[in-house]
Amino acid sequence: MFDREEDVLDRVIDQLRRPVEMDPTLDAAVMSRVAAGEDRLGRLAAVWDWVSRPRDIAVSPLAGLGLAAVLVGIVVWLAGRSPQIAAPAAGPSTVQFVVVAPGAASVSLVGDFNDWDGGATPMQATRNGALWSVTVPLTPGRYRYAFLVNGSRWLADPAAPRVQDDFDAPSSVVTVGG
Amino acid sequence: MHRSRWFASFPLALGLLALRPSTGAAQDPRLERRLDSATLQSVSAVIDSARLQGLPIESLVQRALEGAAKHAASPQIVAAVRRLAAELGTARLALGSASSPMELDAAASALRAGVSPADLTRLRHRRTQSLTVALATLADLVASGVPPDSASAAVIALAASAGDDQIAEFRRAVERDIALGAPPAVAAAVRVDAALRQTSGATPRRP
Amino acid sequence: MTSDAEIVRRVRDGDTAAFAVLVARYRDRLGRYAVHMLGDRGDAEEALQDAFVRAYRSLARCREDGQFGPWLFGILVNRCRTAGRRAARRHRMFVRDEVSLERASAPETSDRAEWDDTVRWAMERLAPPLREAFLLKHVEDMEYEEMSRLTGTGVSALKMRVMRAREQLRALLTEVERV
Repeated sequence: MFDREEDVLDRVIDQLRRPVEMDPTLDAAVMSRVAAGEDRLGRLAAVWDWVSRPRDIAVSPLAGLGLAAVLVGIVVWLAGRSPQIAAPAAGPSTVQFVVVAPGAASVSLVGDFNDWDGGATPMQATRNGALWSVTVPLTPGRYRYAFLVNGSRWLADPAAPRVQDDFDAPSSVVTVGG
Repeated sequence: MHRSRWFASFPLALGLLALRPSTGAAQDPRLERRLDSATLQSVSAVIDSARLQGLPIESLVQRALEGAAKHAASPQIVAAVRRLAAELGTARLALGSASSPMELDAAASALRAGVSPADLTRLRHRRTQSLTVALATLADLVASGVPPDSASAAVIALAASAGDDQIAEFRRAVERDIALGAPPAVAAAVRVDAALRQTSGATPRRP
Repeated sequence: MTSDAEIVRRVRDGDTAAFAVLVARYRDRLGRYAVHMLGDRGDAEEALQDAFVRAYRSLARCREDGQFGPWLFGILVNRCRTAGRRAARRHRMFVRDEVSLERASAPETSDRAEWDDTVRWAMERLAPPLREAFLLKHVEDMEYEEMSRLTGTGVSALKMRVMRAREQLRALLTEVERV
């Protein structure tokens, strides 16, 4: 399909440089926020003046401790909400596999999780057949796998770590859960 | 008299056992369906031997199935299964016979990636909890390009104090850094420092 | 056509409605960056709106009237960084959103539409700092010094990111051809 690897990047850049049309109603949305903001800004400025005015404040030691406890509680709560991509304790996670294979007639996902059966997990092509994907449930563990194109050509997953192969055909590895 | 007869018959019994055709793997219909009879016999022998040693055999079955799927030659398939069985055996020597099947599988991957058995033993001594995640992390780091000794040093350093979640997060952070252009060994060193500071902060020492 | 500088002066003098001219002028141009950076049109529209509103509110800080475009673009780059972090926390995966893939079609040749999907997927695989550097260099045609001023990152780090982005895109998109 490509004469040189550079052709790929040229095509990517051409694609990205194509004009994009945004929804023209965005203009009105911006302008109404701009207009609303003008009213609010005046009020905000007044609030800021009040807050930043110097004052004397007396706090008892007990009240100070109470405030500290509240702040710690808030920090702990925030920390617990930090993003965690964790699978449920021992149940399966759904894992999506995607590969670029334009012009392929068929692509399947083959690996430790389906006994290396080339027909067990066919992948679905997106609209025009360039991207192929499938989602599978996997229990926690480490799995070797590869993509089988047109029933005969093995592809490692360019988006995953490679593993050393015993059979002159590339394989990748996915670690799930844990 | 009675005793000596028993002793005499013992080697004979063992010999007969050895001659008995492998029934363990032959019972696995997956291998029966996918391997020719010669390959099946050789692979089954390796798997039976592994089973007798108490090693996990599912990954051996999967390696044989992978070879079949990739239309590898019979000697290649047998060699691959033998190699994995040897790695599982080495893993068990390094980690101890009480190791779980998942730990042994993960350790075999780490050994294949170039981690030394001595480092596996060090890991076992540093960590009282299950090693499965730590070992899988080790193998994944090496697969991502971190040199085996750097990966080992990092995971061993974390092993005593970090939970499985933290170790998994450490691996993800290293992989992100590598994707951003950091040299893999540097990424591992930087992230392990950060992770250790985090774990020591979370578990303050008693005065 | 009235220059950006003239419109900015008018807005500062109290003609708020004049700002709409700048919005219309930059909407599609900046929208292109936001769409490619965030991989989602809804997120891109939100980031773009935010950028315009912030630009309006801090117009006094736009140092030279003639530099409104680049200054606005800098605000958008920052908005996209914030939006990207928020999207990552929602754990959205690009291709999982099959519906938006189907919806995003235009009456194009099938070859072009195929590339649209493929390029969007490949861009989404890049870590955000690599994606940002690649877009600024190769789509927005910025010089490295300009990129450095915009992003606060050093030139050599930016060059490394562009190079890594190029390597990864090549690996993702030519793997199938190497076998």
